[in-house]
Amino acid sequence: MHDQNDPIELDEQPLRAWDEFAPDADEMPELADGLTRRSFMQRMAASMALAGLAGAGCNDRPTDEKIVPYVQAPEGVQPGKPVIFASAMPLNGYGKGVLVTSREGRPIKIEGNPQHPSTLGGTDVFLQASILDIYDPARSQTPTRAGTGVDASTFWAALGARLETLSKVDGEGLRFLSGTITSPSLIDLIQSVQRKYPKARWHTYDPMDRANRRAGNVLAFGKPLSVHFDLKPARVILSLDSDFLFDDLASLRYAREFMNARRVRVSQLEMNRLYVAESTFSITGSMADHRLPIRPANVAMLAQAIAAEIGVAGVSAVGLDAASARWVKAVAEDLKSQKGTSLIVVGESQPPVVHALAMAINEALGNLGKTVLLSESTEFGVGDASRSLKSLADDMTGGKVDTLLILGGNPAMNAPAEVDFAGALRAMSTDRQTDDSSSHFTAHLGVYSNETAFLCQWHLPEAHYLEAWGDVRAHDGTATIIQPLISPLYGGQSIAEFLGRLIGQVQANGYEIVRSYWQKAAGTKDFEGWWQATLNTGVVAGSASSLISASCGKPDLSNLQGSANPAAIDIVFRPDYSVWDGTFAGNTWLMECPRPFSKLVWDNAALLDPATATRLGLAGDDVVKVTVRNQSAELPVALLPGLPDGVITLHLGYGRGPRRSNTTDTGLGDTHGVNVYPIRFSDASGFSANVDVARTGKAYKLVRTHNHHAMGGPTTPTTSSGKALKPHAIVTPQTSEAEKEVGNRRLVRVVSLGEFKAQPKIVEELGGEREKRPLLSLYPEWDYSKGYQWGMSIDQTACMGCNACLVACQAENNIPVVGKDQVEKQREMHWIRIDDYFDSASESPLVVHQPVPCQHCENASCEYVCPVGATSHSAEGLNQMTYNRCVGTRYCSNNCAYKVRRFNFFDFNIHRETPQQKMLANPEVTVRTRGVMEKCTYCVQRIQNTRIEAEVALVNIEERIRALSDENQKTAMREEGRKREHEIVEGMQTACQQACPTQAIVFGSILNVGGQPTKVKTLKDEPLDYTLLRELTTKPRTSYMARVRNPNPALEGAHSRGEA
Amino acid sequence: MARHFHPRSNHIARVLVLGAPLLAGLIGFCIWQLQQSPYATAQDVYVDQPVPFSHEHHVKGLGVDCRYCHTSVSDSSFAGIPPTKTCMTCHSQLWTNAGLLQPVRDSWQQDKPIQWNRVHRLPDYVFFNHEIHVNKGVGCSTCHGPVDEMPLMRQHSTLQMGWCLDCHRNPEKNLRPRDEAFNMKYTFPANQAEVGKDLAERYHVRSVRELTDCTTCHR
Repeated sequence: MHDQNDPIELDEQPLRAWDEFAPDADEMPELADGLTRRSFMQRMAASMALAGLAGAGCNDRPTDEKIVPYVQAPEGVQPGKPVIFASAMPLNGYGKGVLVTSREGRPIKIEGNPQHPSTLGGTDVFLQASILDIYDPARSQTPTRAGTGVDASTFWAALGARLETLSKVDGEGLRFLSGTITSPSLIDLIQSVQRKYPKARWHTYDPMDRANRRAGNVLAFGKPLSVHFDLKPARVILSLDSDFLFDDLASLRYAREFMNARRVRVSQLEMNRLYVAESTFSITGSMADHRLPIRPANVAMLAQAIAAEIGVAGVSAVGLDAASARWVKAVAEDLKSQKGTSLIVVGESQPPVVHALAMAINEALGNLGKTVLLSESTEFGVGDASRSLKSLADDMTGGKVDTLLILGGNPAMNAPAEVDFAGALRAMSTDRQTDDSSSHFTAHLGVYSNETAFLCQWHLPEAHYLEAWGDVRAHDGTATIIQPLISPLYGGQSIAEFLGRLIGQVQANGYEIVRSYWQKAAGTKDFEGWWQATLNTGVVAGSASSLISASCGKPDLSNLQGSANPAAIDIVFRPDYSVWDGTFAGNTWLMECPRPFSKLVWDNAALLDPATATRLGLAGDDVVKVTVRNQSAELPVALLPGLPDGVITLHLGYGRGPRRSNTTDTGLGDTHGVNVYPIRFSDASGFSANVDVARTGKAYKLVRTHNHHAMGGPTTPTTSSGKALKPHAIVTPQTSEAEKEVGNRRLVRVVSLGEFKAQPKIVEELGGEREKRPLLSLYPEWDYSKGYQWGMSIDQTACMGCNACLVACQAENNIPVVGKDQVEKQREMHWIRIDDYFDSASESPLVVHQPVPCQHCENASCEYVCPVGATSHSAEGLNQMTYNRCVGTRYCSNNCAYKVRRFNFFDFNIHRETPQQKMLANPEVTVRTRGVMEKCTYCVQRIQNTRIEAEVALVNIEERIRALSDENQKTAMREEGRKREHEIVEGMQTACQQACPTQAIVFGSILNVGGQPTKVKTLKDEPLDYTLLRELTTKPRTSYMARVRNPNPALEGAHSRGEA
Repeated sequence: MARHFHPRSNHIARVLVLGAPLLAGLIGFCIWQLQQSPYATAQDVYVDQPVPFSHEHHVKGLGVDCRYCHTSVSDSSFAGIPPTKTCMTCHSQLWTNAGLLQPVRDSWQQDKPIQWNRVHRLPDYVFFNHEIHVNKGVGCSTCHGPVDEMPLMRQHSTLQMGWCLDCHRNPEKNLRPRDEAFNMKYTFPANQAEVGKDLAERYHVRSVRELTDCTTCHR
């Protein structure tokens, strides 16, 4: 096998099949009890012969399957039909509204709630994947004491004795530690706790607590206001190291609003413009019209220069290099031309002063109250330093803490580097083996028995958010009642239930706690009606914080200093695109989801630019030691073009300690990646400038999927780094003719808004001569002129590569995870992949994300080569895959030009071992077994259900028409029928489409439905529309819309395309 | 040259030339017959139940409509098996001491569902939907047979793919007016060929090509 980390040039790899037939390719190392495939087949052959003799082989008679009806059917539940509940997923204390689909009592799928202000119906990978966590057999399942299972009553007896003593001293020495809290009912409960134990103290710690922005707001406005944005009116947006399309509390909303103001159609020729200056390569950066890679410490200087250019009072100009100065000037001019309709967003990694400065610029531009919205913070105990983790750790070491109750979270793993919380906790828990007379009492409530639980005397299982009642606020203060979908699978309880019991409430169940709080807070006479309506919509009406107006103080810039040394190495910390802050480190869907840009799976790495790597003498997979103030971490290097020179990006949340569980789910039980929290100091939580980086001489195998399933032709000459990330495939009007002809398959077409305006047919032109050739086929043409004809349109301007579609597809279609080893062999099973195309390995390459599901070709090359007719064409244009016919020749995959077919080399579903894991599967989709091919079906289960709904509705209406005699009534009814059909069919969404926060994917019938054009039809008629590899005459039903950029003319030309 | 074969070999060869294909054909025929016999398909095999519920008694004898118990048949993929409460609507008053009904009363009192043995079982990769069939004029008895004559439930049809396709290729044969769908005694008229065609049009029954697409049943 070739070396995966030395990305292949395609001309060295004439056959994809080489990977599939590599030595050992058919041996699954982790197959149960040491059976290899060959020895298994040998034994099977023998046992089949015996079975044949006994004549049992041909009897597939159903055995003793049971049907178990209800004793009393609950209202509103119809067997065979899904039920959908509105709820919210809390993360870092804030909620995102979700709609959860339940099948016969099992939650199986999560979608965004269109009525919730933070999601607007979109989802991110975390919302999608959180459904997997409920069923995780690695979850904590029983209360433990010193690691041994005990009964919950033992814990409460011990705690009760403790509390009795504590209540005599007003709770002196009693401490709580939790994450950020916005839950109104929980805050109410905490206040009751504090009334009962006045001297008890409540600490909060969250590794993603947005402290810098808050501190910046204190600098700017004198208090920790909450800031959010309205991107609808924003025409020019400047992001200073901010990944606001991914890591903000309302990223899903921002992404939707941002893209809505960016879609170019014949009828809409306006788009906003995004400038990004950033120290890493973020999703937001890849959407930028102008991107400036910059050292993290220099962002402050850049902000100051822009402030000076715009004329913010009290800010003086600052010296910058010529290129940056030109950039700043152009950006400032653009911002000045859009007063009140521009926006400057600063990333959490930047220090408070930059946030304050940006607020001053926003104020100078008149953006406050227009694109920048301010409200009072809804967080519990916001901005109180005495509540910090540091003060708790100090008190623990100082012997002031007697009883410590840790409610959720994992501070032992993710505490700042300078706070030795784990050490302090270990010291307190030294006598964790002894009896009740021990001097300290430490307990942890958590969904997982994690590192923190391990260091505590006691641990209690916490309920997953889909298992307990609660409430939570969104970024703008809007509250949502969290409805449970299922009783706790592993006997967990929520934080509120824990506290309720702690203060001795008789009815300490979550439902009563939440209901009684809102009974007071709702202030309505008809509470029952209010409660039902609120649960139904998923938002508490009118609960958003009111907006306030405030004005900025003069920013104090005296401590600003950039990083002048060009040889220095800086590190940047970012939450991970898959495991976030570590919360999802046990989630196998996310672990196997290729990270945007780097396409890493199952690991994190030190990401650095090829140029920097060359300077440091490093190559991919080399392990480096990064040292910050005597703390160090060792992790492997992965190269990624487009990062600023001298800056290493580190993603948080990996390297979780051994989970002490017996899960056998692929690869889990070990640690993955490296924990970089130990080198993250709280005063340098976003970045550390000037760190030591040393080679260790070791190497570590990283697996990246960037060259998997490549559909390009030969690559362009290798780039300066020696690495080409995907075969060169981008064409723009500037691409030279020579370059176009060197094997460029024109998979990705990029135009600027100006070019498109000047020449609307430009996308077709970019396709060259091939685009104009008639599509001739030797085969007879199908008739596709009737009924529903399904098709999809993917807008590459709107796709930001966030992977939500990929994980949504995995959840909807029962797609298994295969583990790092199998991914290395290109066997990941994802039905949709996101190809990231880099136009060059230049300093700031243009990156285009291209999601590729099955293209559902009308002349599908896979169909002609199947010897058993397992893949065939439907009358509605679907390329059907019939699993029970497939014999696994893989000819179809070999012949597929788009490389979208996936083969089950093993029975990957053997990992669904426990009864709980089996509950997750979508009953509408076959669980595939070993040896069959599978691929995107356009969510055919949803299509069939929609069609049944539409057909039944139509027939019902027509039966009513038959009963009528009046012609006018009949006509009106027919019209109603057509509308209803259009509504039902247009309402159908594929899983990827429904998940997409930016609505980049649109699915539907490409023929009129009910006499009206459909959304997808309209999009396919747009001049930006094109299909991949048209010259192959496959006639794909999935088409793409070219990426449109909106560059600033003042910055074009000095740099080559795509660069800053 | 020495003879390799005895003259008898010619006879053996002749017999084999004729006999071998016959034998192979016979074996094939047997397998073919076996795989569609009730032994393999469970067709017409009565299945024991915890309560020997008689459709004959309830449907023919008492005239209970199918939908009284199978409530979701016309609007869900699954026809529905009645909750114990449905049984108890009558049996809290009637036959309250019958020994046969003890499991029903136990279920009701102990809040534990009755576990019925499944009679009609399709493979996991087949997705059958009652709603669309019933709404397009395929009656219960077309697939389930004379349920009103069955003291214990049995599977009337083979439930094999060939049997499904028989109808999906010629739906007109089996269509009846929708309001007759639950009529156990419905008989097809003599001119079913014309009636069926009209009904297919009236209920928008899709073309044979569409009805026999793989994804119609397999996903």
